[in-house]
Amino acid sequence: MGNIKETFLNPIFKGNPISVLVLGICSSLAVTVQLKGAFVMGLSVIIVTGLSSLICSLLRNTIPNRIRIIVQLVVVAMMVILVDQVLKAYAYSVSKTLSVYIGLIITNCIVMGRIEAYALGNKPFASLMDGLGNGVGYAMILVIVAFFRELLGSGTLFGFQVIPQAVYDFGYMNNGLMILPPMALILLGCVIWVQRSIQKDLQEK
Amino acid sequence: MNTNSNTYTVIYSIILVVIVAAVLAFAAMFLKPTQDANVKKDTISQILTAATVEGEDILATYQDAIEAAILVDMEGNKVDDLDIQDCEVYGTADLKRQIAADQKALPVYIFKNGITVVPCYGAGLWGPIWGYVGFEGDLKTIKAVCFGHKGETPGLGAKIADEPSFAEAFVGKQVGTGDILFEIAKPANRQTENNGVDAISGATITSQALGKTLNQWFGFYQNYFAKNAAGCCGQPCCEEVAAEEVVEPVNTVEE
Repeated sequence: MGNIKETFLNPIFKGNPISVLVLGICSSLAVTVQLKGAFVMGLSVIIVTGLSSLICSLLRNTIPNRIRIIVQLVVVAMMVILVDQVLKAYAYSVSKTLSVYIGLIITNCIVMGRIEAYALGNKPFASLMDGLGNGVGYAMILVIVAFFRELLGSGTLFGFQVIPQAVYDFGYMNNGLMILPPMALILLGCVIWVQRSIQKDLQEK
Repeated sequence: MNTNSNTYTVIYSIILVVIVAAVLAFAAMFLKPTQDANVKKDTISQILTAATVEGEDILATYQDAIEAAILVDMEGNKVDDLDIQDCEVYGTADLKRQIAADQKALPVYIFKNGITVVPCYGAGLWGPIWGYVGFEGDLKTIKAVCFGHKGETPGLGAKIADEPSFAEAFVGKQVGTGDILFEIAKPANRQTENNGVDAISGATITSQALGKTLNQWFGFYQNYFAKNAAGCCGQPCCEEVAAEEVVEPVNTVEE
């Protein structure tokens, strides 16, 4: 059981898919303008990675080796379309803001990467945990980046004004640069920097 | 069993695809009514924005605020009613059909606060763009607008929907006469002062497309506007106030 816990927790910090493996960067740049979007995107990825890993792990002994990537893709695509349809039905406004990016979870390297590297060689429950853990790791970075971008770029958090009007009256202005994708990349760089200074073994000599 | 044989691979892929297709088809059918309701709500909320009506419950607010929702033809005559109780509105697919149709049925939403909302629909840069324009009683002066798009470039063309200053620029502008009913271009290229707004810099094609769309649709409604305008006669203020409002050029097209 300790092993399973390790499988779940490892990708959240020590082996984080974004800050350590540097996978799934594109979407983390695009959907981190606001916390709400980042949150829903993170949740969607958690569900997709978790369940796709579970399904692929259940099928792992039956999948013909020559078409295994295609089988993985079909499973992932199915999960993504399901998530997209459910969001359109029950969280329409969020689905409108995230627009194409939900569909693009299919191309998120984390999902396929974990299935290929882990789920095809491990038991279903462990695979589920690995998928969920990676999803949580991804979501965590997204939320951290989105927190700073929304706070400094719009002065809000989850859409609520947190920087008081009095500060604006003093001459404070929202940083428009924070809204643009380059700042997401720079913030992501800062996150990786912080992690590497904590985790010395990640530093290249 | 040999999982690497050709027969196994083919049968396996067929079964997998059939199962996945069945799951997705079921999900799509099951969720369709909820999704359609969302799209309709979204359309109504855009119409309400153009009518400057606000409210928590969109459907109830619409039912409260609407006076009449009718369909008119190109001559400006009423051809049919839209069901208000059922919140029946023309969505983007319905609007698209009207452009090519010989017998057009153009929706007009008349609100109790005196604002009349008409839609428009056309091709943007990457996909369709649409919008709702709310007019004052004279059916000439714009009170509020709300635009939407399928996939214009975020930060550039998408500003037609999410840049408040762009929508604000329309307030007080009027529909012109003659060939050019409404223009979206930089001030130097505009022929009239009061029948157009500044284009969005960096989004020339979307801006031009929106201008063209508005022109086309205002053309469709021209006869209706002429027949039903309440007229400014009693209140000469209308035109003067609008003329005095000189809007600073916020965005100009870089060439």
